[in-house]
Amino acid sequence: MKSIIKNIVWLRLAQLKINDYYKLGYFKIPIHLALGHETIAVCVNKIMNKNDHILLSHRNIHYNMMATKKIKLELNEFLLKKNGLANGKLGSMNLSNKDKNIEYSSSILGNNLPVACGVTLGKKIKKTKGITIVVTGDGAIEEGSFYESLLFAKSLNLPLIFLVENNEWSLGTSIKERRCPIDLSKLSKSLGMYYSCLEGNDPYKYIIELNKIKKQSIKNNCPSIIEVKLKTLGYWIKQDEDNPHGRFINYHAGPARELKENDFPLIEKSLYDPIFVIKKYVSKEVLIDLTKNIQKEINREML
Amino acid sequence: MKLVNHINELIKIKINENKNIVLFGQNINAGSCLSGLTKGLDVKKNNIIINTQNSENSLVGMGFGLMLQNVSSIFFMKQLDFLLLSIDQLVNTYNIVRANRIKASFTIFPVTVDSGFEGPQSSLNNLDDFCSIAGVDGYSMSNYFDSQSIVDKHLIRNGFRIITAGQKDLNKDFIKIKPIKEDHNGNFFQYKIGSLVTILCFNQSISYGLEFTNRITEKGFSSSLFSINSHSIFDYSEIIKDIEKTKQVIIIDDTKSRNKTSTNFINSMLDKKIIKKHFYINRLFSIETLYPCKDNLNIDYEKYIIDLIAE
Repeated sequence: MKSIIKNIVWLRLAQLKINDYYKLGYFKIPIHLALGHETIAVCVNKIMNKNDHILLSHRNIHYNMMATKKIKLELNEFLLKKNGLANGKLGSMNLSNKDKNIEYSSSILGNNLPVACGVTLGKKIKKTKGITIVVTGDGAIEEGSFYESLLFAKSLNLPLIFLVENNEWSLGTSIKERRCPIDLSKLSKSLGMYYSCLEGNDPYKYIIELNKIKKQSIKNNCPSIIEVKLKTLGYWIKQDEDNPHGRFINYHAGPARELKENDFPLIEKSLYDPIFVIKKYVSKEVLIDLTKNIQKEINREML
Repeated sequence: MKLVNHINELIKIKINENKNIVLFGQNINAGSCLSGLTKGLDVKKNNIIINTQNSENSLVGMGFGLMLQNVSSIFFMKQLDFLLLSIDQLVNTYNIVRANRIKASFTIFPVTVDSGFEGPQSSLNNLDDFCSIAGVDGYSMSNYFDSQSIVDKHLIRNGFRIITAGQKDLNKDFIKIKPIKEDHNGNFFQYKIGSLVTILCFNQSISYGLEFTNRITEKGFSSSLFSINSHSIFDYSEIIKDIEKTKQVIIIDDTKSRNKTSTNFINSMLDKKIIKKHFYINRLFSIETLYPCKDNLNIDYEKYIIDLIAE
């Protein structure tokens, strides 16, 4: 249990450290923070084995950081340094890590979905028994490549999980503003695929469900859709002459301006904040101690 | 024998020399098998054939995904214009995949719709545009020997490329004129050597070049004839050497693109200031190309030849 909680806190603090650098204007490249996405990244990392592969989207910092647990590697990559995770050649939006089975990341919405089909087919041909997970979002499922890839994965009986991080936002527009609702449970049912919805950021429930879907998909050579309902935290209210009543800003890329490192890295008192949720498993005092220790660890690494 | 049957035989031979190749595309093993192009493919040596759904964007992405797993594949496509749906994958995915050390082959083999009777679709009658957008290697085939060489060299080798043949030529009996010289990479083929003029045929224009050489021979002169099969920039020095001797050039390019490979060649040639006279026979996009019609270049051969002889 401890390692899961510790990883969630580490991932929050590591991102806040990156955010501090971001606010200071150190990065030339766009970075998409995933504050609020920590639980799903930690849980996916937990269920992955050596024969499992993952393909990511432009918002991939949480999966990449969990795979290495090295903030400096990631930071140096964002600074395009030679001692970065990919020798400063991939930056953020396309950052992958073959050594950790992160096969591919794409900066283009929906682009990684068909590539994941090919990776899974390749594994099947080579008789590699494992799951492939492709991470996408509520914006990318509007792309034709999502539907095409679902068809392909089902037609070829591929053990592939389409993991949809649904944060409601695509750039500056919410789902309500831009389209009709998409019922992924009905869509998956119509194609004969498994569907599961994760919500509430409880890591232990997530791990049980992820493992269940993974086993089903592998055993029956059947793709699945897992929809994760979450919030990308760190938004702020812009108030100026043009917006006297304040305007909600859900940053797409860029820093979470109003957040900073804290003794207790809670952002929002709701089930959308993984830090808030883990309080039911450990006391606030234990979390504060854990935070202090991890902060020390991170600071040591940064030296 | 039609060119399509010849290329089909070459493909089968090449595939059977290799193993664990994924062959995929729409109707490649059903119906007319892309008008015979993929007829009789078999699954020896663990090769896999997939008659796929109609999702060109995803199918190209899938080919790159297979490459990431070091699995080789060929995507056969009925029409080149279908590849327009895949441009994101051709640019963005390929640019990431090519940076990796990939030990697999991925070839896309579309048929260029160039007969003209398809109307709007045949305004896209070349690989130049596709190859240009992401520096993709591309090769066109138009006769017995160049198809033999290009299929052998490029159909299955590490990396990614696009290979095509024109619909117009595929359904005719093949031209069997043996090259006297060919580039080791299949970028160009030289069929004749002569002194009056160097004739360079880009895209699917070799038949026009042959007509020129025949008419020049009838008049008691000789010409050099090259076909340029690559749609990428390559080392032109062998061709330039020939032009240094003849000092006169006819360039024929039947593409409707505004982004022709031949213009790259002309620029490099003009820089060298070795030409006394050159003719550039090509066409620009026009509204007529949108309507179904016989899609040939109209060339006044005699006018050009008289002009060259006068020089």
